Amino acid sequence: MQVNYILITLIAMFGHMEDFLGTTLLSRPLVLGPLVGLVLGDVNQGVVIGATLELIFMGNIKVGAAIPPDVITGGVLGTAFAIMSGQGPAIALALAVPISIFAEMVISGLFVFRPVFNKKFNQYAEEGNYRKIERLHIASGLLKPLLMGVIAYLSLQLGSGVIKGFLESIPDWVHEGLGVAGNMLPALGFALLMNLMFNKKVAPYFFLGFVLSSYLKLPMIAIGALGVITALIITSITHKEDEQSAPPKDSASGKSASKVTRGDIRNVFFRSMALEANFNFETWQNTGFAFSILPILKRLYPKQDAMRIALKRHLQFFNTAPHGSTLILGMTAAMEEQNSKDDNFDSESINAVKMGLMGPLAGVFDSLFWGTLKVIAAGVGTSLALEGNILGPILFLLIFNVPHLVLRYNLTFIGYNQGNKFLQKLSQSNVMDKLTFGASILGLMVVGAMPALLMSIKTPLALGAGGSVVKLQGILDQIVPNILPLALTFFVYYLVRRNVKTTYLLFGLLLFGFLGSIFHILT
Amino acid sequence: MIKLTRIDDRLVHGQVALVWTPSLSADCLIVANDKVAKDDFLKMTLGFAKPANAKLLIKSLDETAEFLNNPENESLSVLLIINSVQDALTLSDAIPEITSINFGGLRGKEGSKLISKAVAVTEADIEISKKLLDKGIELEVRQVPGDKKQMFMDLV
Repeated sequence: MQVNYILITLIAMFGHMEDFLGTTLLSRPLVLGPLVGLVLGDVNQGVVIGATLELIFMGNIKVGAAIPPDVITGGVLGTAFAIMSGQGPAIALALAVPISIFAEMVISGLFVFRPVFNKKFNQYAEEGNYRKIERLHIASGLLKPLLMGVIAYLSLQLGSGVIKGFLESIPDWVHEGLGVAGNMLPALGFALLMNLMFNKKVAPYFFLGFVLSSYLKLPMIAIGALGVITALIITSITHKEDEQSAPPKDSASGKSASKVTRGDIRNVFFRSMALEANFNFETWQNTGFAFSILPILKRLYPKQDAMRIALKRHLQFFNTAPHGSTLILGMTAAMEEQNSKDDNFDSESINAVKMGLMGPLAGVFDSLFWGTLKVIAAGVGTSLALEGNILGPILFLLIFNVPHLVLRYNLTFIGYNQGNKFLQKLSQSNVMDKLTFGASILGLMVVGAMPALLMSIKTPLALGAGGSVVKLQGILDQIVPNILPLALTFFVYYLVRRNVKTTYLLFGLLLFGFLGSIFHILT
Repeated sequence: MIKLTRIDDRLVHGQVALVWTPSLSADCLIVANDKVAKDDFLKMTLGFAKPANAKLLIKSLDETAEFLNNPENESLSVLLIINSVQDALTLSDAIPEITSINFGGLRGKEGSKLISKAVAVTEADIEISKKLLDKGIELEVRQVPGDKKQMFMDLV
């Protein structure tokens, strides 16, 4: 048992290492669930529970400083307790929800506490001592995994016995009620996603996704593929190409005697994975930015004096979407190089560009990665994983990370080599508009397919009496299959639009499902 | 009409484009800032963050007041974004329609203190805020619409 506890604790800590791993979704329940299952000798259960939790926490994303419930700790512990006590997904979820809300508070506390280190960081910058900055950045980043590791281990050690006893004392009807309640919860995730994307202009694509899944019974992968095709066709109609005057690249100019090597730029990319390690509520990703740009600074500023100034410059407030951060890092690298060569270069402009770009680019990359790519990855991944298919988590990671890492890597070089020109080209062409529009078509088609494919709400109600009983569900299935999940999703979406708090919706849905089960209205 | 007036020193970014705009059903984002209105580079960068279904206007404070006081523009659902408490005061003097101001994000600077996760204010900010309150304007602190509305003065 002890070995298991330690291994599970390590999984939770691995999840919290996400801040060093570049937001690659390795910390999502769909990935950590199977790992917990592996440790406890039941991978299949782990995959199914992971998928169930993924669905519920699907709309739960980190935008800016708004910290969502901590699905890492909640998910890992919920999965572990459920498998250890042999209780299944419903219990996993009943435990994961409160644990993740509690853990979120602890993490927020850490983000409030971390600014204490800022004095140290500034002092090291003043000394021009970049090694100490690197070390403190990493050390502070390790606080979160360590802290949550302790919490996970203690919960397992102290909680297992109590929770096992408690779970065994739960009567069957409660268990059943929780199961039904759990089936309600994905509606919240879908509603939160719709809130990001849904509007009159793209609404038809949502229903296209629904029809394809509900009537034609297409699997999620097929709907994703159709979504890509639809998006390409529609955007080519609505956004006429205007690229006839693509200016020839003049990359040969300017970059003559460059001290910065390709290896340095590549290093910046790798280090950007740790951008959020020391995330805090005062200066946000500032030390992550300094940490990432250091290979360039080391190359350009061998003299301690120049290094000192550069370090101080990059310890200023910074925050952007990590997925696209490398574009800004690359541009900064190019500007720092200019600055090191040209005495007349206005070094103030470096931070001006950083500050100017970080917000807008966060908007672009947040919607692209969280609004579209993550949705498709999760849609495909969970639809397979719910059947216990291990390909679920694997495809989930691949669909998100192949485009993510390719783009992130290339953006570093684009930022460095083309920087401003690249942005100007982008803003003059309609590529951005096209991309956003296409992405929302694709995303909505996949979300539209979700209620039918990933939720199961049925009613055992029957109409009539005596010999002529007609099952209500049978009638519904003939007219609009999966109408109940769809209706519930829209109802929750409506409430989300009315700014009802997510926590209330979460517990409201649980209660609704639970009562529905007790009164035999829902199964 | 103005759906929300928000102080956010990152102006348009993920929270604004992705969460606030759909939540408010805003169809027009106005960035009111004298510096940005004159800076082509910043204007270009803000253009990237524009949500697909809303238009983005970048105007100086004077232009903003003129635009919003023009009855012709009343049919727009406006999300007004500024980056300082001072600008909030200037605009609220010029635009009577502003009755509530949302503190969304103000980064820490020399002598400021953190009053919520993403909002740090200086003594000067608080002085100006008092003037706003005296005018009967509601000052609330929220990053995203789902956050609990906290009153500015309760946090200071």
